[in-house]
Amino acid sequence: MTTKTLRMGALGITTHRRTFVVGLVMTAALFGVFLFALSVGKADITVIDSLKAAVGIPVGSPGDFIVGQVRAPRAFTAILVGATLGLSGAILQSLTRNPLASPDFIGITMGAGTGAILTMFLVATTSLWIIAAGATVGALVTAAIILALSWRRGIVPLRLILAGIGIGFVAQSTTQYLLTRMDVHDAGTALGWLVGSTTGRTWTHVTVSATVLAVLVPIILWNGRALRTMEMGEDTARALGIPVTASRAILAVSSVLLAAAATAVTGPIGFIALVAPALALRLTRSAGVTLIPSALMGALLLLVADQMSQLMPADLQFPVGIFTAAIGAPYLLWLVWRASRGGPS
Amino acid sequence: MPRRALIAIAAAAVLAVAIALSLAIGSRTIDLATVWQSLVDFNPDDPEQLIVRDLRVSRTVIGIIAGAALGIAGALMQALTRNPFADPGLLGINAGASLAVVIGLTAGLTGFAAQVPLAFVGAGIAAALVYAIGARGAAAGAPVRLALAGVALTALITSIINAVLLVDDATLDQYRLWVAGSLTGRQSEDVATLVPIVVIAVAVALLVSRQLQAVGLGEDAARALGINISVIRAIIIVVVTLLAASATAAAGPIVFVGLAVPHLARALVGASLPWLLVVSGLGGAALVLVCDVIGRVVARPSEIGVGITTAFIGGLIFALMARRMKVVEL
Repeated sequence: MTTKTLRMGALGITTHRRTFVVGLVMTAALFGVFLFALSVGKADITVIDSLKAAVGIPVGSPGDFIVGQVRAPRAFTAILVGATLGLSGAILQSLTRNPLASPDFIGITMGAGTGAILTMFLVATTSLWIIAAGATVGALVTAAIILALSWRRGIVPLRLILAGIGIGFVAQSTTQYLLTRMDVHDAGTALGWLVGSTTGRTWTHVTVSATVLAVLVPIILWNGRALRTMEMGEDTARALGIPVTASRAILAVSSVLLAAAATAVTGPIGFIALVAPALALRLTRSAGVTLIPSALMGALLLLVADQMSQLMPADLQFPVGIFTAAIGAPYLLWLVWRASRGGPS
Repeated sequence: MPRRALIAIAAAAVLAVAIALSLAIGSRTIDLATVWQSLVDFNPDDPEQLIVRDLRVSRTVIGIIAGAALGIAGALMQALTRNPFADPGLLGINAGASLAVVIGLTAGLTGFAAQVPLAFVGAGIAAALVYAIGARGAAAGAPVRLALAGVALTALITSIINAVLLVDDATLDQYRLWVAGSLTGRQSEDVATLVPIVVIAVAVALLVSRQLQAVGLGEDAARALGINISVIRAIIIVVVTLLAASATAAAGPIVFVGLAVPHLARALVGASLPWLLVVSGLGGAALVLVCDVIGRVVARPSEIGVGITTAFIGGLIFALMARRMKVVEL
């Protein structure tokens, strides 16, 4: 197989040609769906005008507002949050070597949900900002508890999953209790937040997501080689000079922070973190974790799901979380089916 | 007397204490003498005796049924899949029952008589899926994989439930109370329909428990003993479905009882499956009652549903178990 090496100091990225091509194709597809997201909707705006409006060039039509203030921030939010979730899932699945490991299932997202619902319950607010703050605090507190429980001379991924499942149930039961204490209208709003949504997101949301990615992605890529090497086994990695304990801790914490940031911005959107890395792996036919394709795939999936949710007729306007579940469900059932046939995991 | 019989008697004694607590404690605490009187020499003019007879007895009976069913279902699933994390709640069987009940609610099927068969159908489908993951092929005996598969299945079912609830406020209102796993609000005649189902399921489980244990020793050994393995497995799956669905129909989805109780029971009575089932049943009933009593006390004057208290307490226990677990698989 042809390999291609890009060297940027310690950030040497050795990539197979196929991975490179798949990455390019995904980027092109992402751009295509992005243009669609900007220009198609209740008001159709030409592609050129919508692109101009998206970057802030006035076009002197309703496009300035519709694209500049509504569609563009929403599309960027979907792309950035999708990429964040894809990365978070890829790291977690690689660390645990388990295709089912995903921040949705190991408590982080549930903790964010509890934080958000608790905020709604206590201050009776509908401000996305206050709710996002509550979600972040909830995710971080939950993550701290999970990490503290699974920390014993370093993070053992297996213990992280199990502790996460347990704490996830604790968080979820708290959320359910709060839901029973709210009046039914507020409970409906809270439930809407709990399935995840991209509506009403602003440029500030985009900035927050972009900032989190800008800080964490270099750290993650810096540890990318360690991640791939650790997939070959702990002892092999140690023998190759990888500081296993430190790398694992850094990567696990990064994955948690990514999940927390994504949840704070859009609410818990399920299944992207589960599906995107697996699809990326299959498309690139890579032997080990593929971080950038996973992020691209996450962005693409969430943007597509978001478009699906907007194109539905008015009486079937579900939040995007329902559509990502619809994408995730077949994959999950396929995993089940394959496991039942005794195939390789 | 053998040690196992002593442990079973001790478990029964714990259950008796839990029953006494469940009858006596609530928004109004009633002393045990009055509780006893209301049971043996009922005086309908005494309001305290009325509370015990009308409210707390049926609530306690539901707790016993649900807890015993879940404890035994958990022990059976763990034996069947040879997997320590097999629990009908954790693996999504209860969620399957919930989904069926929610779909029923949207179609206007609100009565208990309609919910029970729906819960059976939903639980049966989920049980078949989980069994496919947990007991066959490459995943057999991989505890973490099974636990994750269960959580993933639950997440999937939950998002379908959410989709239904988002478009239907009336269903949401009924569902959020039902899902919290409350032991209240069921009529005693409703419960009466569940008792025979649970009793028959438990009896069948006890009858085949020796054969199931032989299957656990290995398929070849079991065949050599003249046991039809597929028949035994099919019977156990049906029994687990009946038990888990009955518990869910009676008390809403409850997690971790089927996980924690058989674990504890195994530490006490060892691997003997018949004894394990007996002690798990008694212990499960006691745990659900105690969790229910805790839910009545901590948020006075209102209450916390038993599904919430068990998930909270059970989740903590599970996380702490994970911390103590020796990591062999890595």
